[in-house]
Parts: sequence; structure tokens; C-alpha cells
Amino acid sequence: MPIEFKRNRAIFHDVVAVEEAEGLLEWLQSKPAAKVDLARCRHLHTANLQVLMASRPAVSAWPENPALRGWLEPALKPMS
Amino acid sequence: MNPLLDQFLSESREFSQGIAAKLMQLEDAPSDQEVINELFRLVHTLKGNSGLFSFPDLTRVLHAGEDLLGLVRNGQIAYSRQLADRLLEAIDLVMAMCAEIEATEQIGGSWSQEAVRMADSLRALMPAVEAEEKTPFRATASAAPIQLLPLAGIPEAVRLEALSRCHEGETVHWVCYAPTPDCFFQGDDPLYSVRQTPRLLWGRATSDRTLPSLAELDTYHCLLEFHLLSTASREELAEHFRYVPDQVRMVQVDPCWLADPEAVLKQGEAANAEAAVRTAQTAESAQGVEARMAALDAILTAQFEILQLEDRPVWFRGRLEAVAAVLRNVTRAGGDRGTANELDAVLAECLETGQPTLLRLWLEASREKLIAGHAAQLSDSSMPVAEPMQRQEEAKACLDPRVANPSADDGIRFGRRSDDVPGPQRSLKVDQAKIDRLMNLIGELVVSKNALPYLAQRAESQFGVRELSREIKGEYSTINRIADEMQDAIMQVRMMAVSFVFQRFPRVVRDISRKLGKEVQLVLEGEQTEADKNIIESLADPLIHIVRNSLDHGLETPDVRRASGKPETGTLTIRASQQADRVVIEIVDDGKGIDPAVIKRKAYQKGLIDEAALERIDDREAVNLIFAAGLSTAEVISDLSGRGVGMDVVRSAVEKINGTVVVESRLGQGTTIRISLPLSMAVTQVMIIESDGQLFGVPMDNVVETVRVPRRSLHHIKQSMTAVLRGRTVPLKALNTLLGIPANPKLNSDDELAVLLVQAGPDVVGLLVDGFRETVGLIQKPFGGILSGLSAFSGSALMGDGSVLMILNIRELV
Repeated sequence: MPIEFKRNRAIFHDVVAVEEAEGLLEWLQSKPAAKVDLARCRHLHTANLQVLMASRPAVSAWPENPALRGWLEPALKPMS
Repeated sequence: MNPLLDQFLSESREFSQGIAAKLMQLEDAPSDQEVINELFRLVHTLKGNSGLFSFPDLTRVLHAGEDLLGLVRNGQIAYSRQLADRLLEAIDLVMAMCAEIEATEQIGGSWSQEAVRMADSLRALMPAVEAEEKTPFRATASAAPIQLLPLAGIPEAVRLEALSRCHEGETVHWVCYAPTPDCFFQGDDPLYSVRQTPRLLWGRATSDRTLPSLAELDTYHCLLEFHLLSTASREELAEHFRYVPDQVRMVQVDPCWLADPEAVLKQGEAANAEAAVRTAQTAESAQGVEARMAALDAILTAQFEILQLEDRPVWFRGRLEAVAAVLRNVTRAGGDRGTANELDAVLAECLETGQPTLLRLWLEASREKLIAGHAAQLSDSSMPVAEPMQRQEEAKACLDPRVANPSADDGIRFGRRSDDVPGPQRSLKVDQAKIDRLMNLIGELVVSKNALPYLAQRAESQFGVRELSREIKGEYSTINRIADEMQDAIMQVRMMAVSFVFQRFPRVVRDISRKLGKEVQLVLEGEQTEADKNIIESLADPLIHIVRNSLDHGLETPDVRRASGKPETGTLTIRASQQADRVVIEIVDDGKGIDPAVIKRKAYQKGLIDEAALERIDDREAVNLIFAAGLSTAEVISDLSGRGVGMDVVRSAVEKINGTVVVESRLGQGTTIRISLPLSMAVTQVMIIESDGQLFGVPMDNVVETVRVPRRSLHHIKQSMTAVLRGRTVPLKALNTLLGIPANPKLNSDDELAVLLVQAGPDVVGLLVDGFRETVGLIQKPFGGILSGLSAFSGSALMGDGSVLMILNIRELV
């Protein structure tokens, strides 16, 4: 599974494809206080990014991949 | 060369010809939707193919052509002659580029300008509205409205990085990629695309409006937008975003925006920004020392103005650093390294005090020195300065044509689509060398097959085994049949329709007649007539010559035609037909014809005929004098024809492939030029003759007739012999003498000489030989190496019994 849904935490693995976006959205809707762990994620499809940007969950771990982190961090950081 | 490129080139040639042909068709039927569709498809495919390789200039031209044709197809603009002219020019340009690719596997930078100019001229034909609709960002070239760039959102570290890249001479592009909402359905992953952007400096994902709440969010509806900075060139970026060119905006970032974006943006210091932009532009377009000095002056003035600003924003420190960086670069460019340290010291002090005054004073004091340093640097034109300068010039010339001309196209677009893939091919493309090899092999097979009857004869006469002889003969007839069929089949492969040559004519006729101001209707007939590839190919140039001549000298201008009671539009007919084993091509015009008297007089003046001939030759022979070298009848020498070369070139080209050419003309009614060519050059019909015990071959094309002449009816005039044959005096020459064989022609039992009448150019000559043998079809091989200097023979051929037959070159011999 590219996204592993734990009790209150979604762990992204490797490459997360467009098909996952729907499930991610549903899950995030049901868990408003959820956290996402992106450490192992290498790439996620734009649709997933959009879901994350719309829901702005707390990020428990940023991607280890610096390039991806460079894109995600500014977009997903809590708005100040 | 890589095979894909190779194929692309060969297809391009075909397509280009196809495009030209379709344009011609369209000229006759401007509203034929089918032809327009086909034309569009050809250009579209060609453009798509060109996108496989990195030839942006080629693609640019084709793309403009495609856009234009797209509009024609949709009926938004009407077909016009001007449009056809431009498109034909564009195709010529494309062909020229292809030729260069073929030679060097790349396109030189010199084509860039040409390509842009051509693309512009094509686009100029499109309605203006369309152009704007298609390219909303066109105006945002280098002097883009600053508001467009939310540079303020760029992190400080990135901004400084970009700025230093700018100072190092790299160009920084701001790219805004706004994917269409349904892009996910097209399989796009915009985030992936932007992450792969070449030489990415920085990027961010945003949304132009606030994203809806989770409950309302449509997962598959893309609302995001991506902004990024890259140091890649415009071409690279265009190539990277080639599938989504309509969703991407690109702006080259001016260093001054990076240097002090806040000041420029928030305080609206437009004057300052403009000054800097102007400076940059001046520097770019600078030519010569003066312009450069002016640019330097402007740069320094701009810095001075910045330092004079009274306000103290939070980014004050950055502003000072930027000014110092500019000044440092100026110093460095001026070849003065010592000043840089001085500058650093001043800068440090300024930063400490928070006052720009010191820097301003330093600038005032050093200004003269800086300018003087540059002037000195330029005057001894040492490389370090000249080089970046030159580089900049070059870059401007060939890099981004849009900067030079804002109405150019909106970047390179590669509309490659999978549905362009052609269906399964029914025809094979085979290298001609392979066919030639087959041809040679079948030739050898025919020769060795012919050895079998000799073998059969030997079996019977020498060894007395009749049974075996008969069996060999039986086998021989089987092999003979198969070999004949095979030869025929291979010949068929080499056969080409004359349309290969004919298809050039609509264009040629159109161009020339336009240039000459004549109205000409071209009629092509018998395009399906086939002949050997070599014959067809060698026909191309002579035909062009003839057509040019007909257009230039034959057909009259509309006024003249009207005056002489003919329709204004002249007709030029090119007709091909097969007559027995020859292809006959006729070029018929209904022009003014050829006046035999004029030709005769000219020929006499130029010393081509003597007085006797002047009296003797009839009109028919006279008009054929146009094929003599050095005769030009045109009153005025034009750039098309009339230099006295041409028709004799035509004759020699036709004769080289064993063809003949004659002209018939009726004064005031027109001229017909008739070219007769063998169907194939592979098999030559040869008559075998005997002289002094040796066998020689004479091509049947040369043979007029064979006669036996009684010795007493020969006339000796001085050294030469003549005989009167059919009421005509024919010079006689002994073959033995011509070949230097020390023997007299043999007489037969009735005291007769064997005379072979041959056609040698316009003359008929009788060759005295010893005897005639059979006529055979054989494959003539030209001499190679040292033997190729033997002009008396045109080649050799292998006979069935393994002996070599020498083929006489009658024209050279007599």
C-alpha cells in the first residue's frame, strides 16, 4: 500500500499515485486531527498534494528526499 | 547517421514534394476541402516528426505553417496566391534545412533568424485576433509587467542565488505552470513535471484561490498552480513543457527585479526599474564602444539613484549589497581588481552605520576611474571584455528570437500525437544498391545460361551424345524461361512512373510563368508511364531545361497572344507515352513557334553551318539546329535561358541514356519537342558484326539498315569513298581503318561489300564491314579503370559462350 493508514496517522510510502487521492481525501475527512508521515515518500501525485493542501493536516515527518521536501514544506506548512 | 533521422529526412523530402503538389492542386480548386485536409495532414505529420529531433528552427517554421493551414481548413482564412507563395517558400526553407541536416546532422545557428522570419511571415497571414487568442503571454517577453512576477514570495536565499546566477551571465526564467482542471484525466502529473524541470532553482505549488473545504473538494479537479525559477534556457524549458505549452508562461527575469524586488514592487520606483531595464537592453543591443560606454554610464547612474533613496526599509542591507555587487562586477569588467577591495571596505562601513552615503561618495569619486578603466579595456580590445560582449550579442541573435521580435511564435510546441503513426506499409523502401546488385546477378545468370546451348552443341558434335545434348537443351529452355521472368521482375522493380519527374513541373511552371508575367496552363498526360529509374532520373534536368525554354521563348505574353488571336492563357502540355520498347515524352506549347529562317541565319552567323548547308537544309532540319551547341535565339538574355547553353545540354543528356530528341515547330502555332528514350538501360539491343575475324557490337539504336553494295558502284572522291543509296549520297568508311586494323574489307562471292548504315548524330554513315551476324539483347558494362579512356567503345558485354563482345561507340568512332 502506498499509503498506510494507521489509527491517526497516514504513512506515505515510495510513490503515491493518483488513485490514492480519493481514499486519502475520505480518510482525512473522517479524521480531522490526523497526521501524515511523509518520510518514506519519494513522490506523490499532484492530486494527493492538492488534497493535503486543502486539508492541511499536521505533518509528523517531512520527506527524506530533499527535493520533494522543498516542494511540500512551503505548500503544507500551517499558515502563519 | 541514426536510422530514425535517416528515415525522417527521406520522408521529409517526400512530404515536401507532396505539400508542393497539393498547393498546386489547390491553386486550381481553392475550395477543395479534401485537398486542404490532405495538405494539413502532411504539414502536421511533418511537424510532428520533426519534433522527434531537436531541430527547433525546423519545427518552428512547420508549426507556423500548420497553424496557418489549420485556419484555412476551418475556413477562417481563404486560400490565396500569396498564401501559397509563402507556404512554398517555407517548404523550400524546410528542404534547405533538411539538406543541411543530411550533410551535418544538425542545423546551424544561421538558420534561426531565417526560420523566425519565415514563421513570422506565415503568421502575418493569420487574422490578428487569432494570434492574440493563441498567445496571451506574447507581450510578456523581456520587459514583462513587473506585477506579473510575484517575486516577493521567493525565499531570500533563492533570490540571492538567482541574482548571483544572473550576474554570472546565466538567464533566469520565471515559469508559471497552470495545469488545466482536467489534466489528471489526461495522465498528467504536474508536480512530477515541475520536479523534473531542467536546472530548477526553486519552485512552489500554490492555488490561485483558496481551496474548497474537504467536503467540496473534487479530487480529480486540479486547482493548483506551480511557480518556479530555472536557469535553463528558454528552448530547454519549452522542450520540457512541450506537451502543455498552452498552460505554461515563461518570463525571463531581469536581474534588477531580483536585486531589489520589494523596492521595485512596493514603492513603485518605476523610473529606477525602467532605467535598469533600459540599461540591460542597451547592453544587450550595444554595438561598438560608444553604446557600451553609454550602457555603463546608465548602470552607474542607476546605482547612484538607488543610493540616493532616503527610506530605510528592512531590506536596506540587501539593497546596499546588491548595489555593491553591481559595482564590483563593473569594476571587474573594467579589468581593475584593486578597486574591488576598496569597495568591500566601503560597503562594510556603510552596513555598519546604516547609511548609504559613503558608498554614494565612493561611487561619485570612482565613477571617472571606472569609466576610464572600461574605455581603456575596450580600446585595446583584449579578450576578457570582448568575449562576454560578443557572447551576449550572439546570444541575442540566436537565443530567443522573441525578444528581438515580440510577434514571433509563442515558443516551441511539439504537438506530437500517437495517432500520427502511419499504418502498416504496403511498400518497402529498398536501397538502390541492393536492386543494382540483383540486376548484376541476373545479368550474370543470363550470360551463364546462354552457355548451355554451346554445351549442348559440344556434347553432340564433340562427344557424339545426342541424348545428352537434347536433355541439356530441354533444361536450358526451362532455365531460360525462369531467368527471363526473373529479369523482367527485377526490371519491374526498377521501373518508376514518370510522375516522379512530372510532379516538379507544376511548381516550376508556376514560378517561371509568374516571373515572366505569362499566363500558362500546364497539362500533364500519361504520368503513369513507367521507365527504368535511371532513365527517369536522368530525364529530370533536360525536361526542366526544355520547359524553361518553352516558357521563356515559346509562349508569348498575354498581350501578344491576344493580338495574334490566341487565348490569353498559353497551354504547355507534357505528355508521356510508351511506344513499343521506348518511352516518348512530348513537350508541346502553343506559343509562337520557331522561325527556321532565324535559326538558319543565327547558325550561319555563329559558324555552326556553312553557306552550302544554309541553302541545303530544309525547315525541319533547321529547327533542329537549336540543339547545336552555342546557339541562342533569344533576343534578350534572361536569367532563365538564352545563354546558348541549354538545348545542346539537353541533347547530350538525352543521348547519354541512348535517347533521341527532335523538335517540330510551326511558326505562330507552337513547338513540339519529342524525346524518345529506351524503357530500360539494362538490356541493350546490339547487332553483331564481323570485321577481320573479330566480332563487334553496334547498338541497334544506331543501326539504320544493312545493305550489300556492289564494288563497282562505289565512288572514290579523293581519299574518301561514297555510294549512292536510295538516291542519297552516303559517305563510306571502313571499320578496319577506323579501328586501325591493317586489313581491307572482305568481299563476298558476288563481289559485294557489306555496308552497315549507321546514324551518327544527324549524319548517316556507311560502315564497311565483313559480315553481319544476329541481333542480341545483352547487358552492357561500361569500362572501368584504364580502359574507360577508350572512346571508340562504349562498353563490353559477355556473350553466351563466355567471350567478350566490344560495343562500338558509333558517334565517337565516325
